[in-house]
Amino acid sequence: MKHPLRQAVRAAIATGALAVAGGAPAAPNLTGTWDHAPGVKLDPRVTSAIQVATPPLKQPYLGQWLAQQQQAKEADARGQPLFSGYTQCLPDGMPAMMMAMFPMEILQTPGQVTIIQEAYNQTRRIYLGEKQLAIDDAEPGFWGHSVGHWEGNTLVVNTVGIKEEVRFRGAPHSPAMQIDERIHPLPGGMLQDDVVVTDPEYLTMPWKFSWKYVRKPGYKMLEYVCESNREYEDPKTGGVRMRLDDPDSAPQPPAQPAQR
Amino acid sequence: MRLRRSGLGLAMAVLLAGPALAHHSFAMFDHDHQVRLTGTVTHFKWANPHVYIDLDVPGDSGDPKHYTIECANPGILDRSGWKFNMIKAGDRITTIIAPLRTGEPGGLLKQVTLADGRQFNNGGPAGEANIK
Repeated sequence: MKHPLRQAVRAAIATGALAVAGGAPAAPNLTGTWDHAPGVKLDPRVTSAIQVATPPLKQPYLGQWLAQQQQAKEADARGQPLFSGYTQCLPDGMPAMMMAMFPMEILQTPGQVTIIQEAYNQTRRIYLGEKQLAIDDAEPGFWGHSVGHWEGNTLVVNTVGIKEEVRFRGAPHSPAMQIDERIHPLPGGMLQDDVVVTDPEYLTMPWKFSWKYVRKPGYKMLEYVCESNREYEDPKTGGVRMRLDDPDSAPQPPAQPAQR
Repeated sequence: MRLRRSGLGLAMAVLLAGPALAHHSFAMFDHDHQVRLTGTVTHFKWANPHVYIDLDVPGDSGDPKHYTIECANPGILDRSGWKFNMIKAGDRITTIIAPLRTGEPGGLLKQVTLADGRQFNNGGPAGEANIK
């Protein structure tokens, strides 16, 4: 006969949470490397397999967004995919980095959870137990200002301060955009991030989507410096072109000593 | 110059499968008419956002034609079994590429065969070779 306590401990381990006195699950240990769950198609900017619902934009923004999508589709069909900030080596920022296009690392330290996305060395810091800044005090950035707390085994995160130029799926947003996340373990050792984007100026309703992750045991994160980009924007078509000369073989100016 | 073309009609499948994890769309490459190129590496650049192979391929007139071949990034290639120094300038290699739709001498790597016979693909997002 199976011992009930042993079964409970096994279940707690399976979900990544260990029960504490009083019955509420404690914060799970999420530290380690993770990858997007297998079979999940990513990066809807460049694939038709969209995993994220169409942004519930107000008009006229929805009409403009749909026109942009059509323009991108037609450009692809012509073999001239549109140039983007991402092609220009800019990181994708929040919430796109949580798609885990490449492996990501979670580090839990006292008072902070840090999430590193291998692509572009993106790093976001979630400050635990701190009060969120007023919108006017949050300096706009790619990853914004995130605060969080644990509710049982769920990391609850609020993010503000995303630059208006940082657009997930090309959807425009105002400085008032907020991203709320509930990051929680799933049975079988997986992890899920339930994301809710709100923006009273641009969205008719909260924009909701989720991503799942699996552990990547033993994986050591690689550096990612966008140092050798041969893609550029064709000034005539706005499409991506590839340099055909070898930039490293071109004459280079003599190296200057580093300035400090 | 060794060059073979194939029209297996896989382009749509490749496009619909989606170049997830890509730095950009792969629509500028012609996945339907892949080409086999054997030549000498003039430069191998292991860096983000893409690894590049610069290849001189003997031309019909005797002068080599220079090709620029785009690969995935070091992370994807690492996870596909590549090593940062497995290709060097001077190596003779054979590649299968999806050529640029513009007709310019460049393309997206599908498969590379090293001088010692080892074969590597370009990671999942780039799609498989459809010729041999």
